Amino acid sequence: MSGDTSTDASGPAVICQRLAKTYRAALSRGGVTALRGLDLAVPSGQTFGLLGPNGAGKTTLVKLLLGIAFATSGTASVLGRPAGDVRSRARIGYLPESHRYPPHLTGEQVLHHFGRLSGLRRPGRTRRVDQLLRRVNLGEWRSVRVHKYSKRMLQRLGMAQAILNEPDLLILDEPTDGVDPIGRREIRDLLLEQKARGATIFLNSHLLSEVERICDRVAILKEGALLREGGVADLTRPRSAWQVETRAGRPDAVAGAVARVPGARAVDGRVEIEGDVPAVNSLIDALRGQEVEITAVLPRRDSLEDVFVKVLGEGETP
Amino acid sequence: MRVAAILIDTGRELLFRKTIIVYFGVVTLLLLSFALALHTDVADGLIASISVAGLRASSPGMNGLTAEDFVRYVQLGTVFMLYPLAILMSVFATASLVPRMIEKGTIDLLLSKPITRPALFASRYLGGLLTVTVNLLYLTGGLGVILGLKTGVWNGGIVLSGLLMSLYFACLFAFVVLAGVLLRSTTVSVMITAALFFASLMVRLPHAYRDWPLLITGHLWRFLAVTVVETLYHALPRTYDFVQASTALIRHEGGLDWGAVGGSALSGAAALLLAVVYFSRQDY
Repeated sequence: MSGDTSTDASGPAVICQRLAKTYRAALSRGGVTALRGLDLAVPSGQTFGLLGPNGAGKTTLVKLLLGIAFATSGTASVLGRPAGDVRSRARIGYLPESHRYPPHLTGEQVLHHFGRLSGLRRPGRTRRVDQLLRRVNLGEWRSVRVHKYSKRMLQRLGMAQAILNEPDLLILDEPTDGVDPIGRREIRDLLLEQKARGATIFLNSHLLSEVERICDRVAILKEGALLREGGVADLTRPRSAWQVETRAGRPDAVAGAVARVPGARAVDGRVEIEGDVPAVNSLIDALRGQEVEITAVLPRRDSLEDVFVKVLGEGETP
Repeated sequence: MRVAAILIDTGRELLFRKTIIVYFGVVTLLLLSFALALHTDVADGLIASISVAGLRASSPGMNGLTAEDFVRYVQLGTVFMLYPLAILMSVFATASLVPRMIEKGTIDLLLSKPITRPALFASRYLGGLLTVTVNLLYLTGGLGVILGLKTGVWNGGIVLSGLLMSLYFACLFAFVVLAGVLLRSTTVSVMITAALFFASLMVRLPHAYRDWPLLITGHLWRFLAVTVVETLYHALPRTYDFVQASTALIRHEGGLDWGAVGGSALSGAAALLLAVVYFSRQDY
C-alpha cells in the first residue's frame, strides 16, 4: 500500500500487551472472558498462525486488532498505531470467517465497492480489480451477482477483496474453512505470493497442516490464554527419536530384533526407538542380524498437530 | 470517496430490495394516469370543463372554480392521501438498512475498512434519506409539472411540501435507525416506528386541547397523563403538524409552525445522535 509508511518495517506488525476482553451480558453481573491478559508480538514480514480450539479467543483477538470490538483492558497496536486506528486500517486486508458480500452486487462491483472504501481511486482501482478478477479465476463471473457464487468462488472473491489494497498486514480468519483441497491450494498460492511481496500475514486457522506449510511462527491459545508461541521449525524440531522402516513380510524377525534392543518398539510395520545415534545403530545391527531388509531410517519430528494436541492435552499454563 | 461508496451501495441495495421499485411504479402509474386521463379547459382563469378518463364535467356545474383552486385541491388531496402512504412505504423500504449492515460477516468487513464508525453510520442513514427524498420529489415534482401543463397554473408549493415531508421522513428515519441498531431486527424496527407514527398522531389531539386533563380526577393521575402526552408530543416527530405545514405551503398561507418543525428536527437529531453513539461503542 502506498499510503502511510511511517511504521518501522523491522518492528513488530502487531503488539498486544496484557490484552483482555470480557463480553458482558446486558442484565447479568458476570460475563464471558474471551481473552485473559494476552502478550503477543507478530514480527513484520512473517506469516503468523494463531491456533486454538473453538472458543479459544482467536476471532476475538482479530476483532480487537481491527477495532471491530473493544478491549476490556490492556493495549494492542497494529502497524505502529493503536488497534482500530483508521490510518492503520488503510494498510490492512481482512477476510472474516463468515464474510457476507452485498447480494445485489456483482463480483466486480464488490471489489470496486471495497476498493472505494479502502480509498483506492480510478483508474488504478479499475486496473487492480481487473487484475485480481483474472488472478482468482473469476474473470468470466465478474458480471454475475455474488448470491449466485459457490462457496469456493466466494472465498476466492474474499481473498481478492482482502489483497485489493496491497496491504502491509493481511488478517485471515479461517480462510480455508469449508473449502475443498483445490480451493485450499489456490488460497495457499495467493498467500505465498503475498508473503513473497513482503506482507505480514496473520492467519487464524483450524487446519494445522495448512498452517504448518505456510507459517513462520505460531501461537496456541486456549480459553483466552497463550499456551505456547514460537517458530514452527522450533516447535516441530526433531526429537531424540528415530523411525526405521523395513520391507514387509517378516514380522517375527522384526519382533526378535526389537526384543533385543532396549527402548525399541514395533509400530504399524515400522520400528521406533527413543535415543541417540548409537541406539539407532544398535537397532539397525539387530535388524540386519535377523536379515531384515531396511528401507529407510528417519529422525522423528513432531508435526504441528502433535504439538497442538500435546500442548492442549497437557493443559499447560502460560 | 468512502462516504460516496456507502451512499452508492445503499441506493443499489434499496433498488435491489424492490420496495422502492414498487413505490416508484405506483407513483409513475399515478402520474401517468394524471397525464393521460385528465383533461381541463381553462378560460379566463376559470375551469370551463374537466374530463377524467372520459367522464366530463363542465360549467356551470364547476361553480366558477378557478384553475388555481383546482390545482390546489388536487395537491391537497395528494398530501392527505398519498403522503402517509409514501412515508409508510419509505419506512418499510429503509427499515432493513441498519439491521442488514450490522449482520455478522457484513459489519466485520465494513469496520475493517478505513472509515470511522460515525461516518459509516451517517452515510448509511444519508443514503436511505436521499433515496426517499428523490422519490418524494419525483411524486411532487411530477404532479406539479403535469398539473402546470394541464392548467397553466404552476404551484411550487407542492414541491416545497415534498421537501418538508422529506424532513419529516428524516426525523422518523432517525428513530427507525435507532431501533435498528438497538434491536438488530427489521420487523421490530418497523413495528416500533409505526407505533411512534401513530402515537405522534394520537398525542396531538390532547396536546392541542389544553382542558382535557380536567377530565381526569386525582392530581397524581392528571400529572402523569399530562407528562406522558407532552413528553411524547415533544419527543416524537410531529406528524400532524408536518401535514398541516405541507397544506399551508400548498395554500401559500403564512403562519408555518416552525416550532413544530424545528422540535421534530431536534428530536430526530437526538435519535440519530443516540444511534451513532451506540453504534460507535458497540462490539460486533
